[in-house]
Amino acid sequence: MKPPAPETFEGQILALLPSLRRYSRSLTRSDSDGEDLLQDCVEKVLARRTQWRGLNLRGWVLTIMTNLYRNQRRTIVRGNLVDIDGAIDVAAPEESTDPLERSRLEDALNGLSEDHRAVLMLVVIEGYTYQEVADMLDIPLGTVMSRLSRARQQLAEHMKSDNVITLRRPK
Amino acid sequence: MNAADQPVTEADLHAYTDGLLADADRSRIEAWLRDNPEDAARIAEWQAQNAGIKAMFSGYEKSRPGDGDMIGKPPALSPSLKRLAAVAATVAIFAAGTLAGHYGPALFERPQLQLTAQETFPKEAQNAFLIYASEVRHPVEVFANEEAHLATWLGKRLAISNLKVPDLTSLNYHLVGGRLLPVDGKPGAMFMYENQTGERLTVLVGRNTANKTTSFRFASADNIETFYWIDGELGYAVTGEISREELRKVAEECYRQFPS
Repeated sequence: MKPPAPETFEGQILALLPSLRRYSRSLTRSDSDGEDLLQDCVEKVLARRTQWRGLNLRGWVLTIMTNLYRNQRRTIVRGNLVDIDGAIDVAAPEESTDPLERSRLEDALNGLSEDHRAVLMLVVIEGYTYQEVADMLDIPLGTVMSRLSRARQQLAEHMKSDNVITLRRPK
Repeated sequence: MNAADQPVTEADLHAYTDGLLADADRSRIEAWLRDNPEDAARIAEWQAQNAGIKAMFSGYEKSRPGDGDMIGKPPALSPSLKRLAAVAATVAIFAAGTLAGHYGPALFERPQLQLTAQETFPKEAQNAFLIYASEVRHPVEVFANEEAHLATWLGKRLAISNLKVPDLTSLNYHLVGGRLLPVDGKPGAMFMYENQTGERLTVLVGRNTANKTTSFRFASADNIETFYWIDGELGYAVTGEISREELRKVAEECYRQFPS
């Protein structure tokens, strides 16, 4: 299939895919859930292209993805086992990250509610300002601040409570 | 009062952590942190969280070979269909549960809880929302392009001669469509709406045998809000994961439009 021209709607979405993939993965618990969310989002965005007002395509798509995520997560029972991913050309975690530390952070993130996780990721991963997040999600600025604050507090508590067992490698 | 005297708020600490402050504000916060070790420790913790989160997901920002196809034609088996299978499994478990509930007493002599429609109605509305609002491709049986047919069909099944599909465009929700579903063991109707950004809500209409009119009532579970009321022989419920205030407007609009 011929790739779409960069200036077309399809071409612009194609160019956004890598960063959309990062955001979808940051909301979900596994690589396959991340890809599913990304695919559903792209499908929906293409179907609604006529509703796009021609400004800030990325923000519009991220809002649609956030809402899809919130809709879908309702059907998933909380506390489910995390998927064990097949080795689809895996995004290798940064070498420097301690794997134990990483899995604790992942557990902590999976303990957040959808609303808290979305706000945290839009700020930390996507780099939006608090006001931009409020506009995207159509919630008051104060709600963004309280969700961000709660998310950070909950992560900190989770990381602390897991701190009881410290593993040390022999020197 | 000069800038350095302004009190430092928690919002400032977050903005500092996320690099959202101008230079002058940064220096003001840094001066504050030198005298407030607790806040400094909090910020160090948040910065470590940020670094960990970025490291965890930055590797995903890349193209994959199948990306072009995603933009082209939809895949044969979409993720939504996979989920449909999962929902079907859930329904099967539900059904098994219902059977156990039905035959249970004879086996275990368990006392049966008798709930009135008024108590079960909001729960049914929440379940319908949970199951159908997450459907990407098949949220409804009849889509909005056949709205007239939808109203006639569901009106017939519910035995309501002039069933009207509420118009919520004034609140920026447009009709997705509707479906038939059991409500309290009888045919009921569900209408689904969606706004510009894909936020959904559902309106449920069911027969109510008790024939008792109530005021607006409110139920909430896991962030999902439901407004419901019973008007003579019919019960109505509006469900969504939106603010109570916004949902109340929807409920009032529906109340206004439904035949009394």
